[in-house]
Amino acid sequence: MKRNSVHQITDQMTDLLFIEEIKKIPGGERILDCIQCGVCAGSCHARFAMDYSPMQILKMAHLGLRQEVLSSSTIWICASCYTCASRCPRGLNIPAIMSGLKNIAMKNNVPAPIALKPKFHKAFTEIVSKYGRIHEPELQVKLLNKTNLSELFHNASLGVRMFRKGKLTLRPSKLNSKTHFSKIVKNVLREEAQK
Amino acid sequence: MKYAYFPGCSIHASAKEYAMAANAVNKYLDVELVEIPDWNCCGAIDAVYAYNRLLSISLSARNLAIAENMKMDIVTLCSACFFTLSRANNMLRENADMKSKIDKAINDAGLKYAGGVKVRHYMDILANDVGIDKIRQQVKVPLKDLKVAPYYGCLIVRPTGIQRFDDAEHPTSIDKVIEALGAEAVYYPDKTRCCGASLAITDEEVMMEMTKGPLLTAKNAQADCIVTPCPMCHFNLDAKQKDIESHFEIDIGLPVLYVTQLIGLAFGIPPKELGLHRNVVSPNRILEKLKATSYVEPKT
Repeated sequence: MKRNSVHQITDQMTDLLFIEEIKKIPGGERILDCIQCGVCAGSCHARFAMDYSPMQILKMAHLGLRQEVLSSSTIWICASCYTCASRCPRGLNIPAIMSGLKNIAMKNNVPAPIALKPKFHKAFTEIVSKYGRIHEPELQVKLLNKTNLSELFHNASLGVRMFRKGKLTLRPSKLNSKTHFSKIVKNVLREEAQK
Repeated sequence: MKYAYFPGCSIHASAKEYAMAANAVNKYLDVELVEIPDWNCCGAIDAVYAYNRLLSISLSARNLAIAENMKMDIVTLCSACFFTLSRANNMLRENADMKSKIDKAINDAGLKYAGGVKVRHYMDILANDVGIDKIRQQVKVPLKDLKVAPYYGCLIVRPTGIQRFDDAEHPTSIDKVIEALGAEAVYYPDKTRCCGASLAITDEEVMMEMTKGPLLTAKNAQADCIVTPCPMCHFNLDAKQKDIESHFEIDIGLPVLYVTQLIGLAFGIPPKELGLHRNVVSPNRILEKLKATSYVEPKT
């Protein structure tokens, strides 16, 4: 377990425009409403694996500690369980903020403390864009560390377990007619590229 | 009662038995699920959303638009799809900027969404449209002496903007169904804890720590099995249970059933039709117990 706190803040560390970036995240508009009560930190089911608590992340965002927030493990560990959001007395949508922070980190190529995470988001999105649905085995293969033998064996053992129970489909489930689908994906990607 | 049915990717792969059992019990409950033709990925809770928000919302919007043409509300078995489609639905109603961007993307592909569809979870249909009384009336093999731990997970009760049908801190809809089937719903502290969801793929140890909690507290509460309405929770609780046992060197051995499978057993539907042979942790212990306690033999 790694718990951090930011002890010394220097001018070089703060980015006053960071908060404006977060306000643009759907759900992040009212991030300044946080009263640092700690309910999110106390409620978080994944806190044990985070370097900073969600409450700390919100305060660090207020202070403009862009680099520290974007390279924290917290934003990647958040599993979007919404316990914090349903208890927050200020009604902040904290998981949506975490998700938006992941997005900013990926767009700016900030290295993630869990290297697999950005790869997971990219691979998942690519497979869904291709077939219209996710195909788990392909996702696993894309993320597999082919140099780690014990990991390969571990994944193969789960794969066999799933295959035996008919839970692993070798061929992807696809749409019958992808005309609409592919057009929508193309339109969105074009729109995103224009930004 | 007819609904536009959104299966979702898990239902076509690891969670087939959830839908098999739903189809089997729906006949007794006058529920008709009409599959949304050519549905696509709901948009994913965070996997797509964090990478490309606009893409995630437009994936949801395509499904919503097709369902709107069917003039029925959407029902999904999957808690994650329920949340994702609800989030997009809300965003399209409340965020004008997002709405115009999505309109542009889908109109060009010949689709239109006016915002008139309700997104509902199958548990909501069971608890409110079908009703607990009707479920009770169909019971042929009361699940006497069976102790069941209801595991709600996160996304059917907590997020804002969903069609809320249960309490976020102390949900009871699954408890009520369990009791209606003649079983006992055990009280344990972790029924709404998070299983870790997709951390199973990227941070397995973190996910195992998170899933270990409900497995152990349910076992300590003397549960014979856990039931859940979520394919992701089921994957972590059931398919990964063996990994959790060996990682922490503990013994759990707790069968995990979909809520529809438990209902099917009480309706006297043969286990094979409920896909019970597909559950990774063998549910035979429960079947034995039912044979020993019920007056009516469940068909095998």
